[in-house]
Amino acid sequence: MTVTPETPAGSIDNGESDVDADERSETAANGVARRAMGVDLVSLVAIPIVGLIAALLVGGVFIALIGENPITVYGDVIDGVLFAPRGLSDTATAATPLLLIALGYAFAYRARVFTIGAEGQYVVAAAAAVGVVTAAGVRDVPGPLLIVIGLAAAACVGALWSGVCGVLFNRFGASIVISSLMLVYIGQAMLQWATRVGIRDPDSFVPLSRSVGAAALPTVPGIDVHLGFVLAVAVVPVMTWVLARHRLGFRVTALGHNPEALDANDAPARTIIVAVLVVAGALAGLAGFIEIAGVNGRLNDAASVGYGFGAIIVALVGRLHPVGVLAAALVLGGLDIGFEVAARSSDLPTSMAGLVQVLVVVFVVAGDALLERRRSTN
Amino acid sequence: MDNVFALATLTAALRLSIPVAVAALGALVSERAGVLNLGLEGMMLAGAFAGYSTAEITGSPWLGLLGGIVVGGLFGLLMAVLVVSGRSNQIVTGISFTLFAGFATALLFQQSYSIGQFPPRIERLGLSALVAITVVVFAVVAYVLARTTTGLALTAIGEAPEAADALGYDVERTRTIAVGISGALAGLGGAMLVCGPLGLFIENVTAGRGWVALAIVVFAGWRPAPVAVGAFLFGLSDAVQLRLQGADTAIPYEAFIALPYIVTLVALVVRARASHTPSALGVPFVRGAA
Repeated sequence: MTVTPETPAGSIDNGESDVDADERSETAANGVARRAMGVDLVSLVAIPIVGLIAALLVGGVFIALIGENPITVYGDVIDGVLFAPRGLSDTATAATPLLLIALGYAFAYRARVFTIGAEGQYVVAAAAAVGVVTAAGVRDVPGPLLIVIGLAAAACVGALWSGVCGVLFNRFGASIVISSLMLVYIGQAMLQWATRVGIRDPDSFVPLSRSVGAAALPTVPGIDVHLGFVLAVAVVPVMTWVLARHRLGFRVTALGHNPEALDANDAPARTIIVAVLVVAGALAGLAGFIEIAGVNGRLNDAASVGYGFGAIIVALVGRLHPVGVLAAALVLGGLDIGFEVAARSSDLPTSMAGLVQVLVVVFVVAGDALLERRRSTN
Repeated sequence: MDNVFALATLTAALRLSIPVAVAALGALVSERAGVLNLGLEGMMLAGAFAGYSTAEITGSPWLGLLGGIVVGGLFGLLMAVLVVSGRSNQIVTGISFTLFAGFATALLFQQSYSIGQFPPRIERLGLSALVAITVVVFAVVAYVLARTTTGLALTAIGEAPEAADALGYDVERTRTIAVGISGALAGLGGAMLVCGPLGLFIENVTAGRGWVALAIVVFAGWRPAPVAVGAFLFGLSDAVQLRLQGADTAIPYEAFIALPYIVTLVALVVRARASHTPSALGVPFVRGAA
């Protein structure tokens, strides 16, 4: 039996059921196929924008219920992002890890390989890379080279932590959704150990890693954001090109739409499943090291702040398109910064930005369902 | 380990396995009907928060359980509208629901109980009450699935929806109800966690137990009895890790924190191939499409 990953790769399916793959791709992938081919402007552009507006409206109702004036709060949010001295550069900084991780998710989801484990890859890779760049002998290497070493170590460890889910799926049929999530919890426990013992700064009284030292990312002159933002944005055209022009991109699209054709062309689905997971994990790992080396320079035991889950929202709202993901990362990162500013002058809880962000994705999913329903009844 | 400790660990294992077992039975109902409910973790969390606040306001943990069932069930029905009627991607929709519940409960919790203050503890249900409820839920689910027309229709819809549809069964309605029940049971499981062993709510209190429940259903091969075994296995590893964390061993305590998740991962890997997946799991039903 050939592996038909359009549902099994992500679902609980064990890869042995004998449903006709034709039937499946016909029913499950019809909407996705149209969207991913970029021909469907309504679902690519209109649904996310309407979703954002709807989320802001519902968020406004919440704000009113809390006893604040929604218009004042949203005014503060916009002020905080667009007009505050560091608003835009803070937004870019907040968007960086979301963008990197979401690009990886988008790549995997296009192949209908559903992983949700970037949070684990992020923390494990960050801890490992900090360990490498602060190791005796390595830490005296000149800055630029040390940064490259840190990025490489993070990408490798992230890729490994993610790729293992692909191997477990191929060999044992273990659901990637679940195995990737279990590895998040295991990774978080490893982060606790690393900051408490493994890479701890011996002079610190609380769990805190050594400083990355010369591996700290420089600030890019002119935009006042660390180098990591530029690196993350640079991935966007690369991934757009890979998806549109490169053989791997074609295979990803084929795996998402018509795995049978893929088998006929002698490119095994199982290899591509591992490949997309490796790419996604490498990007999540890069995000981990970039966030530490770009912002604080040290890793603490609270480093698992949920970018790996927020990025799922970014990938979906960005319609799994690299450019859309960039836009979504900036908008959702802006909401984070804006609400942070707004919370200073009001009683808003810290989770308000997260609620609005997740409402966007709920409305986007609902919009898809509505559209799909209307099309299939026509 | 002497007998007293062994007994205490076993009791703790039972206590900790109950919420997972009930949620897993919910997942079983929905998956046997062919719908993958990846919103389970979120429904469990929403049920936990509803259970806590209901019990805190009314003073009755029993009403707390009811609150969990109602809120979880509503979440389930809402998701059913999207994935069954709307035929949206079950994986993406489920994950979105789980994320939504995470942020919504965090916000409501922060709003209801001011930061810095310790949230009030609620009256806790005893182990015997929790066990009794679990046994009833288990017996009903197992009986309905195996012995009733409804259960057979449910299974048929998960295996061959076209055939069930041709025989006159309403696939959409059955699946909607099944997802609603899975949400209600997940909500009950969450409420049993906070109204039972914990007696309080904290943000993300379920800590992945909904996902563990989904893994247990795979481990169990979509059959009720092994679900109970799998849930107990998780509860046992959870109880053991709680006990060993305090013990003075050479192994870092973080390894014990990860233990229940490692056990779940191993269980998933070992049994995934061997179990029989409902054929139409995760596939939306479109009349006349086949």
